[in-house]
Amino acid sequence: MNGKLLGAMLIVLACGGFGFSLAAAHRREESALAQLIRGLDFMACELQYRLTPLPELCRQTSEELTGPVGQVFAALAERLQSQSQPEAGKCMAEALAAQPELPNQAKRIMGELGQTLGRFDLPGQLQGLDGARQSCRACLEALSRNREGRLRSYQTLGLCAGAALAILFL
Amino acid sequence: MRCAWQAYLNLLPPRLRQKVDNLGREELQELRLRLGRPPELILRRDSRFLSETVQQEDLRYVVNAASRFSPWSSASAAQGYLTAPGGHRVGLCGEMTVQADGSVTGVREVSSLCLRVARDFPGIAQGAGTSGSVLILGKPGSGKTTLLRDLIRQRSQQGDSVAVVDQRGELFPRADGTDCFPPGPRTDVFTGCGKAHGLEMAIRTMGPSCVALDEITEEGDCQALLRAGWCGVDLLATAHAKSREDLLRRTVYRPLVESRIFEKVLILQPDKSWRMERMER
Repeated sequence: MNGKLLGAMLIVLACGGFGFSLAAAHRREESALAQLIRGLDFMACELQYRLTPLPELCRQTSEELTGPVGQVFAALAERLQSQSQPEAGKCMAEALAAQPELPNQAKRIMGELGQTLGRFDLPGQLQGLDGARQSCRACLEALSRNREGRLRSYQTLGLCAGAALAILFL
Repeated sequence: MRCAWQAYLNLLPPRLRQKVDNLGREELQELRLRLGRPPELILRRDSRFLSETVQQEDLRYVVNAASRFSPWSSASAAQGYLTAPGGHRVGLCGEMTVQADGSVTGVREVSSLCLRVARDFPGIAQGAGTSGSVLILGKPGSGKTTLLRDLIRQRSQQGDSVAVVDQRGELFPRADGTDCFPPGPRTDVFTGCGKAHGLEMAIRTMGPSCVALDEITEEGDCQALLRAGWCGVDLLATAHAKSREDLLRRTVYRPLVESRIFEKVLILQPDKSWRMERMER
C-alpha cells in the first residue's frame, strides 16, 4: 500500500514538475526577449552616436546584459575579433550554436539579426536593429496575452494530469 | 624597417596567409586579389602569382577584416579604399552603389582588391632640413607617405610641435591601442576628419609650429593649406606629381605654387630615393 502511495506521489510530482517547467520556460523566453530589446536599444544608441565597430559594439552589449543573450553577444564579439568566419551572419550562427540555453524565439530573432550585421551602412544597420526590436516586441506581446491564466493553466494542468494518472494506476 | 606585418596577414583569408608570409614578409609591396584569378604578389623587384584561385568569399573576408565588419565606420569605402588596422590600405574595385544624384555611397560587390603594405623606414628623411615648408612629390606608390612620416617624426624630435591631419589613418596608424609607427615626441594626430576641417581644428586647438597632411587632391585642400601657411606655421604635405614641372602644369596646385608658400620640394625617384629642389615660381 505504501509503495502504491509513493508511486502515486511520484507521478503527481513528475507531471506537476513538467507543468511548472513549461511555465518557467515561458518566463525564460520573456526574460530573454526583454534582455534582447535592451541590447538592441544599446546597440542603436552606440551606433548612432559613436559609430562603434561591430566587434567592440558586441562586446560592450554583452557587458550591458546578463544571461544567455549577453553570453551570445560575448561569443559573437570573440568570433568577430578573431574573424573565425568571413561574414558576421556565420559568426552569429556559431555563437548561437554554442549557447543551447537560449530560448527558441530569441534564438530565431538573433539569427535573423546576424544576417543584417555588418552588411549595410549606418541607416541600413539601424533599420536591421529596429526590425529585430519589432520582432521581439511582437513575440513579447504574444507571450503576455493571457499570461497569468496560461501560466496557472500549465501548473494546474500538470498537477491535475498527474493526479488523474495516479488515480488510474491505483 | 617597421611594419605591422601580423595585422596585414590577419586581413587575408587563412588559406593564403602562410604563402604570403613566406614570400612577402620582407619584399611585398602589394597583394592583388582578382575574382576567379590567382592572387598576385607585387614584390620589390618582380611579381609572382600563387596557385590558388580567388573566390568571392575571400574578397568578402578581406573587406570585412579591413572594415572590422563595420561599413558604417568606413566612410572611405565610397572613395574606393579602406584603411585596415596597421595602416595598410585596401583598394576596392567592383560594382559601386550609386545614388540618384550620381554620388557613390559604397561598393555593392567587390571584384578586385589591392592590399598595399604600410612600411616605415626611420631615417629616410635625413637631410631634408629642419625648418620651412616642404612639399613631397611622387607618383602613386613611390613612397610619399613613408617619407612624410619620417619628416614629421624628425621635425617632432627636433623640437617642433607638429599637428598631423591623417584623414586616412595611414601616417600613424594604431593597432590594438598602440602606435604601429612612432610619431615623435611632439606630434598630435587628427584621424578620420577631412583635411580642410582637420587643418582648421589643428591650428585652433593644438597651437602647432608645423602642420602636416598627406595627399593634396582638391582645391579645398590647397585653400586650407594656404590659410594655415598664412597663420605662420610650417607646412609638410604630399602631392601626386612626378616632377616640379608636372606640379606647375596642374591647375589644382596653382594657388600653392603662386603663393610660394612651400620653400622646398622633395621629389621621389623610382628607386624610392629623393632629391631636394627649391620652389620657384
